[in-house]
Amino acid sequence: MLKRFLTHLRFLVARRAHDEVDEELRFHLDQQIGANIAAGMSPNEARRQALISFGGVGKSREGCREARPGFWMEILAQDVRYGIRGFQRNPIFTLTIVVTLMLGIGATAAVFSVVDRILFRALPYAQGDRLVSVGLVQSMETQEFMLGGFYYDWRRNQQPFESMTSEGAVTRECDLTEGSPAQLSCPTVEVNFLPTLGVSPVAGRNFLPEEGRPGGPRVALISYGLWRTHYNRDPGALNKTIEIDGKPVRVIGVLPKEFEMPRLQAADVVFPMTMDEAADRKSNSGIGGPKRVFARLKPGVSVEQAYAQLGPLFEQTQKWIPAEIRSNFRLKVRSLRDRQMQDVRLTAWVLLGTALAVLLIACANVASLLMARGAARHRELAVRSALGASRGRLVRQALTEAALLSFAGAVTGCAFAEGLLHVFLAMAPASVPYIGRVQLDLRIVCFTIALSFLCGGLFGLVPALQRPREEMLTGRTLVSISHAAVRQWLVVAQIAASVILLTGAALLLRSFWSLENQQLGMREDNTVTASVMLGERTYSSAASKMAFFQQLATRLRFGPGVEVVSVSDSLPPADGHGGVRYNEILVSGRPHITEGAGTVVRNRLVSPEYFRALDIPIVRGASFREEDLNSNERLAILSQRLAEMLFPAQNPIGQRLNFEHVSFPESAWYTVVGVAANVKNGGLTGEQTPEYYVLRRNRADDWGGRGVWGQTATFVVRSSLTQEETAKWIRSQVAALDPTLPVDVATLRQRVSKLADQPRFQATLVAFFAMVGLVLAVIGLYGVIAFLVAQRTQEIGVRMALGAARTDILRLVMRRSLRLIVAGLAVGLVAALAASRVLSSLLFGVGPRDPVTYGAVTMVLMVVAVAATLVPARSASKVDPAVALRSE
Amino acid sequence: MPPTSDLLQGTLDLLILKTLASGPMHGWGVAQRIQQVSRDALQIGQGSLYPALHRLEYRGWIQAEWGASENNRRAKFYSLTNIGRKQLKTELGDWERLTEAIALVLKPAQEG
Repeated sequence: MLKRFLTHLRFLVARRAHDEVDEELRFHLDQQIGANIAAGMSPNEARRQALISFGGVGKSREGCREARPGFWMEILAQDVRYGIRGFQRNPIFTLTIVVTLMLGIGATAAVFSVVDRILFRALPYAQGDRLVSVGLVQSMETQEFMLGGFYYDWRRNQQPFESMTSEGAVTRECDLTEGSPAQLSCPTVEVNFLPTLGVSPVAGRNFLPEEGRPGGPRVALISYGLWRTHYNRDPGALNKTIEIDGKPVRVIGVLPKEFEMPRLQAADVVFPMTMDEAADRKSNSGIGGPKRVFARLKPGVSVEQAYAQLGPLFEQTQKWIPAEIRSNFRLKVRSLRDRQMQDVRLTAWVLLGTALAVLLIACANVASLLMARGAARHRELAVRSALGASRGRLVRQALTEAALLSFAGAVTGCAFAEGLLHVFLAMAPASVPYIGRVQLDLRIVCFTIALSFLCGGLFGLVPALQRPREEMLTGRTLVSISHAAVRQWLVVAQIAASVILLTGAALLLRSFWSLENQQLGMREDNTVTASVMLGERTYSSAASKMAFFQQLATRLRFGPGVEVVSVSDSLPPADGHGGVRYNEILVSGRPHITEGAGTVVRNRLVSPEYFRALDIPIVRGASFREEDLNSNERLAILSQRLAEMLFPAQNPIGQRLNFEHVSFPESAWYTVVGVAANVKNGGLTGEQTPEYYVLRRNRADDWGGRGVWGQTATFVVRSSLTQEETAKWIRSQVAALDPTLPVDVATLRQRVSKLADQPRFQATLVAFFAMVGLVLAVIGLYGVIAFLVAQRTQEIGVRMALGAARTDILRLVMRRSLRLIVAGLAVGLVAALAASRVLSSLLFGVGPRDPVTYGAVTMVLMVVAVAATLVPARSASKVDPAVALRSE
Repeated sequence: MPPTSDLLQGTLDLLILKTLASGPMHGWGVAQRIQQVSRDALQIGQGSLYPALHRLEYRGWIQAEWGASENNRRAKFYSLTNIGRKQLKTELGDWERLTEAIALVLKPAQEG
């Protein structure tokens, strides 16, 4: 084998000189001549006979050359040279094809790299498709959850799962307090968490059952990242005792590098959850600690079957939920992928569809261009075949050229995709999972290259495969007429595809526009906000939190140019952290409200200046006053919407309300002092939610509780200084109080605009692709019409010689292109009407069948397409009959 | 026209190898020898002889050397290599199996 390879190599390197072959052949001839003479022929006759019996020196010589190993490389090099020469002769054609391929390949590769993990790639768990997220949902918590009050019954009695596991609903922040200290993310999981997910540690072991029992040893698993950055991948880190939040913890294992929590939150140190059933059932005011529950389906059990089998357990649990809110709870079982990707999936599909549409348009363009070139080259092919080129050789030539073009397109396309990815990363909303880790996917690059080669090769082959006929040599290209028909269909398809793209883009853009320009009900200008989160360790008591926030508010209030400062737990238009169901509200002196279990009422904890800072008008009664801060009474302001619901015909001022009596029967009563105008509060796209504001008084119990949300306060500062100066001032004041605190400073406008990140991302990308698609389709249309005109030059010449006016010719060409445009438009509009329904859940303030959008798209396409065909049409009308007739 | 018989695919290689087994020979010699031994039944077209010789050389079954011919002219002499000898053996075996099989098929037809 090796020897054979070496021989090959030897002959490749030392190319045999042609004259060596010639000498050998000449020797043969001379031998034959000698033999003939010896047989009695005259020298001339001997030579003649020898040549006859030899049969073509050239053929022998060629045969010897072809027998040489590596001969195919010579042919290839020849084909490549020939192809490149052809491309150089026609640079516009070449450039158009390469750019077209670049756009198609680049767009598809970049988009696919982003959506791959969202839509296709397997989760990093063993048989991840059998993992589900299971739990209850209700109008205030739309992500599945379970409570300690019933979780244990479910885990014991469930049928459809191989195993069931949970993690704590809140992932705590914790501090590594040794070596180089770091703030870490520390989820708590049941001991069977990793086995259920099908993950095993890369080093060390998983939790043991006793480590999840009360009083068990304090152990933890650390992430691969932490192992690398803090312990230098030292196996000695195992069984080492490290200090977290000041307490010793023994490291028993290291998580795999690609490990991720099912909810995708960060995980640096994973603790085992202590499963004390009796204590857990009593915790959290008797409903049990909240959990996120994941389970592995038994083989062959579908998500729907699991849902059905859990029915009896759910019924049991319903009896345990207070009757007033019972109907609001539903059971939800969904695949882990759905849980992770949420509503991003639809966006991902829309983007992928858009990119594929662009790729198809691009491929149609390449095919069309190659066919046109093929038609124009019929004569050349006929000549080559007449000169003895075999069919195989012509096919090889066509394939080589297609490969060359695809290669050039692929290289530029990859560069383009790389650039596009950077743009994606810069503008993608944080809600797109994995966006930070996205990179160009090699598999998809290969796939798109293969696709482009396929479409290039396929249509490049068509002319090469046709038997070249003698009449081709005359140059009357009748065959190309059939190609022209195919190309016209391609153009119709291209126009139709760009109509769909343009419609989608226009709808998304309009939706984005109405999102950006809606009335929020508050003033955004000149307002800087700062969000401060206090560490639970340093500020563990409610009093210390209150002290810090009030101190900071006072400092800020005396800043240069500051007009007003407010403190609240959250800001619109994002929805607040807390809320109640409508029927949980108890009005003093009235029976329980029975309807409205599904309606959420938001609440915000605010300081008296809140309404002034955001410029929210008080439409009835009064705002909170400074002196109310020391009042014994709890005060509330209702939003106009809530006031109308609760008190349609009454004066709400002075009414007494209890918001939480269902969950906490001892909870306090609030007195309504005013009604504020509605503010957009369900996110940018959400509906107007009823809302009430509660004054945070100078009492510690108004600042405590509410878990992680109680540690956060948001300051709104309106000042006469510039926003940058205000931001700097705020930072300096926070740092003066506690330099270690992270503070998130942004103008209110930035905060609002951030909520529109995803719509902006969608709209921009789809619009970009629609433009690319449109440009490509127009190029395709132009190409076809120009080609048709060039083919009919002679006919046009005859018509003009027979008396046709220039306008007649113009009309002749335009009629043809208008037919294509109208056909494409009609098909496209019908398809767009069907396709846009997919978008309806992504749209805001505009319907999927918005007539204005469709009208505008039709107009734009008409104008652009007609403009593209006017150029060749005009050149057709300028044909000089004398020249045209003599052109043969 | 001299009588020609279409050579079975691959048979030419076998003939060349067999001919060269008796010693080094130049192209013309190979053609003459095959013609003589087959009593003029097999005439090798030179258009296929030389490509075949070169092909076998590239495969390493035969090797070529420039030397002086009988009439003292520079000629290229081909001879079998070791691999070529082995190849000849296997090809001969294959050929015998093939002809036997064909004979078996044809025999009953002759008898019947």
